[in-house]
Amino acid sequence: MNWALTKQIRGRLTLWYIGIFAMILTVYVVLVFVFQYEFVGRQIYHDEVQDVVTVEGLLYFDGNGVLQLQQNYFSHPRSHLLIDRLMEVRDLSGVVLYRTANLNGTSLGGPSLPDEGDGTFNERVLRIADGTHVSLISHIHSMQGRTVLIRLGYSLAPFRERMTQFLKILLFALPVTLLVAGFAGYQIAKRALQPLEEMAQKAKRISAHNLHDRLEVDNPHDELGHMAAVFNDLLNRLEEAFRQLDSFTGDAAHELRAPMAAIRTIGEIALRQEGGSEGDKEAIASILEETYRLDETIGGLLMLAKAESAKAIGPNTFSLVEATNEVLEVLEVLADEKKIRFVTNIQDARGLAVTGDRSLIRGAIMNVVHNAIKFSEPNSAITITHAVVQSDGEHIELSVSDQGPGVERAEREAVFGRFYTSSRPQTAFHSGTGLGLSIAKLVVQRSGGQIYFDPDVSVGARCVLRLPLHRVHRSI
Amino acid sequence: MPKVSQRSRILIIEDDRKLSAALAAGIEAEGYLVSAAASAEEGFFLLHREKPDLLLLDLTLPQRNGLDLLRQIRQDRADVRVLMLTSHNTVEDRVEGLKTGADDYLGKPFSFPELLARIEALLRRILPEHTSDTLQIADLTVNTRTRTATRAGKQIELSQREFDLLMYLAENRGRTVSREMLARDVWKEQSRFTPLDNVMDVQIGRLRRKVDDASSLKLLHTVRGIGFSLREPEV
Repeated sequence: MNWALTKQIRGRLTLWYIGIFAMILTVYVVLVFVFQYEFVGRQIYHDEVQDVVTVEGLLYFDGNGVLQLQQNYFSHPRSHLLIDRLMEVRDLSGVVLYRTANLNGTSLGGPSLPDEGDGTFNERVLRIADGTHVSLISHIHSMQGRTVLIRLGYSLAPFRERMTQFLKILLFALPVTLLVAGFAGYQIAKRALQPLEEMAQKAKRISAHNLHDRLEVDNPHDELGHMAAVFNDLLNRLEEAFRQLDSFTGDAAHELRAPMAAIRTIGEIALRQEGGSEGDKEAIASILEETYRLDETIGGLLMLAKAESAKAIGPNTFSLVEATNEVLEVLEVLADEKKIRFVTNIQDARGLAVTGDRSLIRGAIMNVVHNAIKFSEPNSAITITHAVVQSDGEHIELSVSDQGPGVERAEREAVFGRFYTSSRPQTAFHSGTGLGLSIAKLVVQRSGGQIYFDPDVSVGARCVLRLPLHRVHRSI
Repeated sequence: MPKVSQRSRILIIEDDRKLSAALAAGIEAEGYLVSAAASAEEGFFLLHREKPDLLLLDLTLPQRNGLDLLRQIRQDRADVRVLMLTSHNTVEDRVEGLKTGADDYLGKPFSFPELLARIEALLRRILPEHTSDTLQIADLTVNTRTRTATRAGKQIELSQREFDLLMYLAENRGRTVSREMLARDVWKEQSRFTPLDNVMDVQIGRLRRKVDDASSLKLLHTVRGIGFSLREPEV
């Protein structure tokens, strides 16, 4: 729980908030308690002094010279924290003249101290015989010509009990307050961070396809608004960069193709003219053939650049089986030359459509099948299988298996790289522009599919092309 | 060489002078009257002075865009066929060009035989040619209606694609057809690409065996660097 909390900013904010709040509250509780203790203690002292004065007025010596307390006037201390009055009166020599019954004959405060209660009200706290703590006030009082020391005490138990109660309430309130504050703090943090979460969600949806999308800026002056503005600015620059790349593609096409067009036309026209040696014509023909190769490479690079900016690929749906059949029909004659048979196996995929750019994906299939023919031994078979992917039911899988030399483990990824041509001697003869499979991969990926060489085949190569199935909603 | 009864006038507006010069020489050799301009302004001037039948218009011209010029030409209702040339081979470009009033479109780099074929096709629209069901080259007969071919009276067994190929070559007899033309018109592909080049080589080889092997007179020729042609060899 704690770990999960600290993982998020809002959790960490809440914990910090609770910690600081707890510290402040603790200091507050201590201060309040100390203040209250002192205040009430002082109040009690004051009331005790008042009581001493009252009692002094009620004491008298009776006819026998015995000290008495006037009982007809029932005096009560003002504070309800002073219950049970304990009193002892003694003369200056220490002889006890009066002692309340609740002392049970024991002394209140022991022998007289020097200067005790002389001119002032001495206060001290002591423990009497039965163990209770008592706050004691001493005062010397003159009456009827005699001087006596009055000691008046009250049990501290009610006061202390009150203070304990107070402390308990404070200590109980502390965690409750912290809990409430923590919850509120968490909610506030969550609300404050909510726009951030929304921004993240929005940013996640922005890709090369919809770079023109921008985050909403509610208030450009707050921190989040500032961040959104900065982010939008970044998107602006990114979009600009993409746009420049796009126009670069077009410019490069022109800059490279215009001179090539000139070379080609000049060469072709030169070949048509009468005269000129056979050797010259050979040379011009070679130049023209290379020009074509160059043009195909440029075309491939432009296709890659376009597919990356994702503009070239319009979403449409088509039958993968049909497109494959067209490819097989075109390439059949090549296979036939090498006595290679096509074995087609259309499982449950007949009549199902996939989504993607038909002509580009058809080109990808063309490349894959052409490769299979190139690398197959004469008199072998190439198996082409269409099947719905059973594990998810959302894709159609086209696989092209040949019985050629296969693709080595180390090459399985590399063959889809740009300008990759195998260095192995048995395949070196067949090198093309080296762009075919990388274009195929980009095209298939852009259509939401996958293309890879099956790592689990032992004989030949099995190229798998997986494309998202287009669900047709039929009313039943 | 096909001779057009009335010599057609062609205006080339192309800023690449070397390409322009080569084109002018090549087209002139085919029997057309050719003039060339290197800018839109010059082209516009020549257009009004020489009243050409066909305009070869490069879309990327300095100062003034080829499309702009085309728009103005069409506003003036100048009765001229326009074949657009451009190195921005995008669908949008093509659509834009055709919408503005171009009659045809060719992406750079193009093959010269294809350019000639397009020029001829555009000019033929003015003078429709009589067409018959059979095409004859020496002792080879191609019947486009029954889709059969005979050499010296003997039936040649051809696959569907082989017949399409032979028919296309026969229709263009005497002329060289480029691989681009075959890709577009026989295989109905949008462009030429390496696997298709291989397919063409094999297919031409097979066709040559069926058409030429039995005869000492070879009709199907490979023109290296350019393409193929079906013709009677010059003696």
